[in-house]
Amino acid sequence: MAKKNLSHQKKFDTRIDFTPMVDMNMLLITFFMLCTTMLKSQTLKIALPTNNDDSKTEQNQNQAAESQAITIIIDGKETDDERTGARSNPQDVKFYYYEGQLNVNDLSNFKEAKGITSGDNKNMSYLRSIFMDKNKEALKLIAVEKKKWEKQEFARDDKVNDSLYQVAVTKIRQRNDLHPPIVMIKPTGRASYSDVVAILDEMQINNISRFQIETLSKDDSTALAKKGIVLPPAGKK
Amino acid sequence: MGKVKVKKKDARIDMTAMSDVTVLLLIFFLLTSTFLQKEPVTVITPTSVSEDKVPDSKLMTVLVSPKGQIYMELLGTVDTTVMSSENLRKNALGIMCEKYHVTLTAKEVKDFSKMNCFGVPMKNMKQWLSMNVDERDKALKDGPGIPIAMTEYNGKTTEFQDWVKAVSQVMEDAGEAQDIREGKGIAIKADATTPYRLVEVVMNNLQSINRNKFTLMTALKKEEDQ
Repeated sequence: MAKKNLSHQKKFDTRIDFTPMVDMNMLLITFFMLCTTMLKSQTLKIALPTNNDDSKTEQNQNQAAESQAITIIIDGKETDDERTGARSNPQDVKFYYYEGQLNVNDLSNFKEAKGITSGDNKNMSYLRSIFMDKNKEALKLIAVEKKKWEKQEFARDDKVNDSLYQVAVTKIRQRNDLHPPIVMIKPTGRASYSDVVAILDEMQINNISRFQIETLSKDDSTALAKKGIVLPPAGKK
Repeated sequence: MGKVKVKKKDARIDMTAMSDVTVLLLIFFLLTSTFLQKEPVTVITPTSVSEDKVPDSKLMTVLVSPKGQIYMELLGTVDTTVMSSENLRKNALGIMCEKYHVTLTAKEVKDFSKMNCFGVPMKNMKQWLSMNVDERDKALKDGPGIPIAMTEYNGKTTEFQDWVKAVSQVMEDAGEAQDIREGKGIAIKADATTPYRLVEVVMNNLQSINRNKFTLMTALKKEEDQ
């Protein structure tokens, strides 16, 4: 056959070098790893009081005026820049607090806190130690539950153990007979958002279930003014 | 005398297996990743110990810029039902257009439904949608955002509140309003250094239309001293 003579084909190496392919893939993987995974953010749940029922909030406030109430005022410094917009540096924060009701003529219970935490929790001018002290009865019980949780006494299974522990803690947090504090969080307009979140965070850390975000009352502003802190007028945009 | 015979080996390594592995990894990352969405302002959220994850769907994010502009991001489900991102945006826009007497063309509505982030007053909406992509981004960044000032609030709702209501309405109609009612579906996103007054406006707005429960977007912080 004539074909036999023509088939003088050279045998090529059929293997392809995959090195560039691997290089490219690695680059793409690196790109995806860097761009995506770290960006999952968390959320912090909050609930504001309803404002369509005035009588109820008033009642709440009266109730809160008792010995369990503690009010935190968060103040900061604001700079307004044309280019970057309004900024309030979280480092410039000032915390003030008072327990019970504020008496404008006697500011002995109106104090300034040094900060949220000092590392050791004994120093009473830090907010966390105040919260811990106020909530100590509940925290003591929660510590017991936590021990149980660590030893997996609720259940063998990790998930069930977790959820049973959470249920137990929530029950303790809501018990009224343990005199849990009622925290009023009152940020001034110029306080930084981050500091407000930090205080909300403390509520969670110290297992305080009853707290509210409120606006400054007239008495609060007066007390601040007496301490030499003048707030910008409320209508300032 | 024995002659040692050195076998000449091929120095090339077969990369096929390696390539297989990398392609698999690549596919994995492609499928699991969610891309960073384009936002008119970059914000660094404050840190918190809360471990609740941001929902992947049925989420309305309120973005607060340091200049006090309000933007909104609507995220639906990834399927093609009424609750998909596109349909959610389209239907919410429909309700808003009706309320503010704005007529948009089908193409403009379609463009809107593709957008992750929006934030122009309704009276500028038509003009904004007629721009090209770059101009849109610029207009969003330099524009006033969604009107929210409570000084205009005297029995009337602000435009921001109308948006929230419109979105709730769409979810309600689809029977998926559970998340938004319980607060999981609304998240406020603001920079850590933003003054509280700018966030407070948003909270007051939500509160006065009885959306008392919502979430704040935070980044995870490890509890170091407890």
